[in-house]
Amino acid sequence: MAGEDDNIDTKDLELERIIGFNGKVQSGLMVHPDREHIVYPLGCNIIIEDITKEAKQCILSGHTNDVTCIDISNDGRYIVSGQETFMGFKAIITLWDYATKKAIQKWELHKVKVQAVAFSKSGKYVISLGGQDDGSVVVWDMVTKEPICGSPAQVESAGITTCLATSKVSDEVFVTGGDNTLRVWTIDKENRKIRPSNTNLGGFKRSITCIEMVDDQVEDMPYFFCGTTTGDILCINKSTNILQFEFPGKDKFCLGVTAISFVKMTDKGFNMLIGTGSGIVGNYNISVCFEKGNKVKTVFKHRSDAKPWKHCESAITSIAKRGAGHQFFVGTDHSQVYKFQFADYSADLIKTCHSCPVNDIIFPFGVAQLILTCQEGEIRVWDLTTGRELRRFVLANKVCNALAISRDGKIVVSGWNDGKIRILGFKSKDLSLELKHVVMDAHNKGVTAVALTTRGDQVISGGGDGMVRMWEIITFMDHTGKKEMRADLRHSMKEHKNCVSEIVIASSDKECASASGDGTTIIWDLTKGSRKTVVFANTLFKSVCYGEDEHQIITCGTDHKIGYWETYDGSMIRELEGAKAGAINFMDITSDQKAFATGGEEKLIKLWRYREGEVTHVGKGHSANISRIRIAPDNRSLISVSEDGAILQWRFPAV
Amino acid sequence: MFSNDEPTIYNLLTVEETKEKKPKAYTSKFRQNVKQEYTSGRGGAKTMGPAKVTAPQPTDYLKKHEKEPQLPKKEEFKYPDDNRKKPSVPKNNDTPLMGLKTTKNFISTNAVENITAVPKLPAKKFADTRNGDVQNLIPSGYEPVFVHKKDFGEVPMYLTKRKEEVARAQEEYDQYISEQIRRTALRQLTYDERQAIIDGLKANWEDIQDQYQGLSVVTDTAPKKNRKERMEAQMKQLERDIELFEKHKVIYIGN
Repeated sequence: MAGEDDNIDTKDLELERIIGFNGKVQSGLMVHPDREHIVYPLGCNIIIEDITKEAKQCILSGHTNDVTCIDISNDGRYIVSGQETFMGFKAIITLWDYATKKAIQKWELHKVKVQAVAFSKSGKYVISLGGQDDGSVVVWDMVTKEPICGSPAQVESAGITTCLATSKVSDEVFVTGGDNTLRVWTIDKENRKIRPSNTNLGGFKRSITCIEMVDDQVEDMPYFFCGTTTGDILCINKSTNILQFEFPGKDKFCLGVTAISFVKMTDKGFNMLIGTGSGIVGNYNISVCFEKGNKVKTVFKHRSDAKPWKHCESAITSIAKRGAGHQFFVGTDHSQVYKFQFADYSADLIKTCHSCPVNDIIFPFGVAQLILTCQEGEIRVWDLTTGRELRRFVLANKVCNALAISRDGKIVVSGWNDGKIRILGFKSKDLSLELKHVVMDAHNKGVTAVALTTRGDQVISGGGDGMVRMWEIITFMDHTGKKEMRADLRHSMKEHKNCVSEIVIASSDKECASASGDGTTIIWDLTKGSRKTVVFANTLFKSVCYGEDEHQIITCGTDHKIGYWETYDGSMIRELEGAKAGAINFMDITSDQKAFATGGEEKLIKLWRYREGEVTHVGKGHSANISRIRIAPDNRSLISVSEDGAILQWRFPAV
Repeated sequence: MFSNDEPTIYNLLTVEETKEKKPKAYTSKFRQNVKQEYTSGRGGAKTMGPAKVTAPQPTDYLKKHEKEPQLPKKEEFKYPDDNRKKPSVPKNNDTPLMGLKTTKNFISTNAVENITAVPKLPAKKFADTRNGDVQNLIPSGYEPVFVHKKDFGEVPMYLTKRKEEVARAQEEYDQYISEQIRRTALRQLTYDERQAIIDGLKANWEDIQDQYQGLSVVTDTAPKKNRKERMEAQMKQLERDIELFEKHKVIYIGN
């Protein structure tokens, strides 16, 4: 059979752009010491992006599951990253060479998850912290690339250790913190031992989320600062292990302190950037003065020329300084990256990405420059030439499953998990998306597929209950002369027994094909509202396309096969082995129907010749299951999205 | 359905702003001239004293003929056909070259030539009257010319005959052989027979397919499942048979 994976003459697809950033990783966004690149995780890959030029990207791939922590050595030569894995397996720490962008070393010692990794001051050691199921600290020698020693990270009475920071003065000292635990460790290399000393927090019980070391600044104040979930910051003396002071006293930060970054010493004391769980980024001065009787008086104030900056509704997970801090980048939980200028404290949104699985993508008819995507409760419009987000429509606590846009571009039809079809339009003022009409109770178990006819006045929708329904959109004037919209049910076709995964309409508008999870693909007569032919297979059909002037359909599903079927009588023409492992989630065919692309749980994009049934190109780059693929209307690019929220743009080759 | 003024997604496309290029304002090509003339001619009469030129240097004194115009160098005149011309006719006072004498021995060379010469053949003639008037034979047509033969250029009879004989013998032999083969070989299915079988198989397949399409989507009971599986097996068998017949143009049937 043609189309073997190991076929020698398959070429690699060329990746043009990645839109993605995993903001959930604590301090995952970092600036490389060369000040020209930012490093961030995306699924199981790490991306190095040029910030000086037009966003040239480089991918480090080698992890087998989501990356959970990253650190860059102070000289910039190495990157170390840890991942999580499945229960009962060992998680990998990978050491990368920055110059060659290759993995040098893989260490497998921690169980299930690596919580944090850090380089020591001069890059002599790498310190890694295991996750909840592991709970140990391991020190690795960078010369021999071997582990020196390991130790449980906390005493048994304490909770989980979550964060790690290394001293800026010596190679041998580091600090770990977590739930009711805060320890300063010293490395004794000769005896292959690390020795912890618990800090004395007095009566405080805190869960520490982030640690910033500032022990190199003032000789007699070797302090480090710990952000807590309570919303205050503890300042601890490294040499004495005693809590010096904590701030702010009463007005604690809402939802905890999630990121701290020290900028400089000023005459007003320590100047720090603080990010919180409620999305505030503030630049605070903390001055310390000692009064007699060992009393410490601290003054905690925001810089006077600006107010704390507030990001809407998601936590700040990383603050990365460029160089000394004249400019810094802020990554949020919601996968957005902001660039701040320190001087005037102004923020620029430079990157927006999907933070959870992308459910659907569509191109407007005949336009390759724009795409519409949907994730959970958001529908976004992107400009592909710049990779920037243009518009966004948000509906909290709902999930948008499917999108369709009319050919005239005036309405966007979306299917949601609450069983409603929402019809959106564009505001004339600023072209933002607005809700025009909601079809209530369109389907019982959520709307899973929608399609629009070429005229754009009929919607075919498929639901989780297996119903395929046809609606007619009618616009009319109400008594005040305002334009209103209404959707009338025309046909309700009940044949499928499981959720409808995709619906495609033939160009004649007289028939459509629906793929379903019950192992059937049905071709419907839309004028009569009855089934024409049915295709059976022992699989969950995921996607269907019309091919060969709509005389044939091609299907794919969980059985790794691509089936070609006759539309006339539903007989099988041929069957191809589409994937070696994992379901094929989606397929899309070019407008000239000479080639089609498939993608699925294999994380590969395969480009097939339609008639020959051969794979010509393979695209590698996704780090999670591919959920959708679309070929641009001009056949110049191919867009694919995956469950980690990444949008990848590939150059479409001449097939 | 919608009015045209409604906003669409296509409005989001970034349109490159094309500034209308204005044609350059007209400027006369004489503008510079006019400018110059306007200023240059002014104050011609404002001279004070002689023109300010550098005084002649003593080393740079006036030399002989310096003020005469410099003529181009003289060139020799040449006719364009000079190199093609024949040598000129000898003059009347030219003396011819005298005293040249050949070394060739004409007597002996003549003798040798005659002795070695091949005697000339007499011309072919014929006498057609009793007075002995002779005519040339060649142009008269009495002498046969080979290329004017009637069968000139044709394959001789004996060759064609021989060829025919060989062909006939081969044909007889072939017939004999094929007769022998036919007598011992398998029967071949004719085109019509083959077509009839294929049509029949297809008809059967369509019958079953029609029934199959009429099956319900849910196969919940054992008989339904059995029926579906049986039909699928039958169809698969028929498809295989059809493929077998269609794949092979020539089909023999063993006895």
